[in-house]
Amino acid sequence: MKLHSKLVTGFVSMALGAALLTGCSSGGKDDALEVFSNKSENTETYKALIKKFEEENPDIDIKLNAPPEAETVLKSRLTKNDLPDVMAIGGNATYGELARAGVLMDLSDSEMINKIQPAYLDMINRLAGEEKEGTYGIPYATNANAVIYNKDKFEELGVEVPKTWDEFVAILDKAKAEGEIPLYLTLKDAWTGMIPWNSLAANIQPEEFAKKVNNGEASFQEDYPEVADKMLTLLEYGHQDNMGVAYGDGNTAFAKGEGVMYLQGNWAIPEIKKANPDINLGVFAMPVTNTPEENKLVSGVDVLFAVNSDTEYSEEAKKFIEFMINEQNAKQYIDEQAAFSAVEGVFQEDPVMEGIKVNFQEGSITSFPDHYYPAGMQAENLIQDFLINKNKDEFLKKMDEEWEKVQNR
Amino acid sequence: MHKRKNAFIIMTVPALLLFFTFHTYPALQGVYYSFTNWRGYGDFDFVGLKNYINVFKDERALHAYLFTFKFAVVSTILVNVISLIVAMGLNAKIKFQKTLRAVYFMPNILSILIVGYIFNFIFAHFIPEIAEGLGINALTRNILGDQDVAWIGVVIVAVWQAVAFNTILYLAGLVTIPEDLYEAASIDGAGPWRKFWSITFPLIATFFTINMVLAMKNFLMVFDHIIALTGGGPGQATESISLLIYRGGFEGGEFAYQSANAVVYFVIIVVISVIQIKVLQRREVEM
Repeated sequence: MKLHSKLVTGFVSMALGAALLTGCSSGGKDDALEVFSNKSENTETYKALIKKFEEENPDIDIKLNAPPEAETVLKSRLTKNDLPDVMAIGGNATYGELARAGVLMDLSDSEMINKIQPAYLDMINRLAGEEKEGTYGIPYATNANAVIYNKDKFEELGVEVPKTWDEFVAILDKAKAEGEIPLYLTLKDAWTGMIPWNSLAANIQPEEFAKKVNNGEASFQEDYPEVADKMLTLLEYGHQDNMGVAYGDGNTAFAKGEGVMYLQGNWAIPEIKKANPDINLGVFAMPVTNTPEENKLVSGVDVLFAVNSDTEYSEEAKKFIEFMINEQNAKQYIDEQAAFSAVEGVFQEDPVMEGIKVNFQEGSITSFPDHYYPAGMQAENLIQDFLINKNKDEFLKKMDEEWEKVQNR
Repeated sequence: MHKRKNAFIIMTVPALLLFFTFHTYPALQGVYYSFTNWRGYGDFDFVGLKNYINVFKDERALHAYLFTFKFAVVSTILVNVISLIVAMGLNAKIKFQKTLRAVYFMPNILSILIVGYIFNFIFAHFIPEIAEGLGINALTRNILGDQDVAWIGVVIVAVWQAVAFNTILYLAGLVTIPEDLYEAASIDGAGPWRKFWSITFPLIATFFTINMVLAMKNFLMVFDHIIALTGGGPGQATESISLLIYRGGFEGGEFAYQSANAVVYFVIIVVISVIQIKVLQRREVEM
């Protein structure tokens, strides 16, 4: 009987929870501050932090809303003029569009931005574009595009983390000579090709590449031959079916000890560890040039907080963001999410991440180049095609043509 | 009499209203937006026929059209041949007839994402491992990773799943043929081959028409199989038109441009379907 009533309470509370969720996703205006999130992985962390915030501020009530297909939901709510009060979204093209649409509050004169690493502020400002002065979001959590390596295999090969491109290729050669798979490539999923591409391009392309292309001062044909060449070099160090293995299979294979290095972002590490909890992993930023000081880590804004410019709760919204970027809370977020923080002085202490910690401490980071390509050109499939056909000149020409074509639509 | 007519109107009007609200109206909106530069939100201006002109100049769209037609023609033929054979087998007096019918219908009720997951595994692990054991070098790699043959992988999965439904339609057709026609043919000394071409095939002509038109239309709109198997890759080798419209329109912020593409595509599908019906109906016979 007792169990029975427990079950009933369980179901009732679940039903209530579901009703509450649908209640906020319908976007009805009520007296709670709506926090909208585009990620499903971090809702538990948000919930815990929100609870803490509500305890400290009993007069503020927060509703968290993290629907599936969040960016589509956000875009459709934009057309209805029904944006959430606070938006926790990625620092990507969608953010840029919202900022340009003039629906986000300018936070550039708030105290908060002084606590954020300038590199990330700069990144999101460039997403909004030149003509839109101001800062419309507070970068919060960040990710990193790196080389994940199997520490045990590095030891067996007797090699150290490379500092230059030549050292990197020398390790690849050595691994190949020893009969190992130097790089476990998963190019069946086109997006995984963007990881090395972004590392290479970010360190090779001229500053403000996208802007220069639009002004006719730069082009793939002029500025990307080296990127293309280095992509083809990397391809030589794959396995026998580079185009046939997908990301999920790649994680498992790498976890089982196939491959010395894996070109992925920090988000792959929990997945690899799921397949083999004992694997001894390390990460480093891909050394793209032969000048170690110039090699930067590609890192993007995974979560930023933006405020609706029409919200009735601007003070509450700012208070909430201030609470989130408080050092202790920011630390709790990145610890639980295995992410990095955009807040100054908050670092990821996980020993696996040791190799790129220095990049965050010194600020030697740079943004994802492809976030600035026009979305309609879908660079990843063009790049996948290039890696199959290896037709460099034709490919670079095509990239230029697609860019122009999409911009003219 | 009058009352009955009213009853029929009452029955049809709600369906008509629903169809108009959720199908016709959005379709007309799409046509409207295809003459603008709308990105899916915000302000927009009219741009006349610019989007249509750009569609005809877009090499990527052309490639998607060619791929889709190649895929649709091959799959339609395969599906109709295979499902007709399966249907005749299931219509014959065999053991476990009902069980087998149920088994052959299975693929139709499985979700395409599950099917895609299973076939991804078959192409990525199962076939290469067997091929390696047998020493067939050509098959030791995932065929979905090869630009030249990835489309065959998609055809295999699409046909495997579509055969289930078309078999049911053919079965329904086969049941309508009276048994005495075959008996009479046997007395006249007709062999099985002759019986098929002179009795079976002409008498299920209406079902053949329906199956051809439905299969062709479904394959021309192929989307979920490709998402589940290749995502349009490798490169853009298996990018169908629906996929291109979805990607460009919803992910690429080219809503208006891809609306124009969709309108062009709609016209093409209508034309193809009408031609198919006209040509195929000409050879249908009445019982």
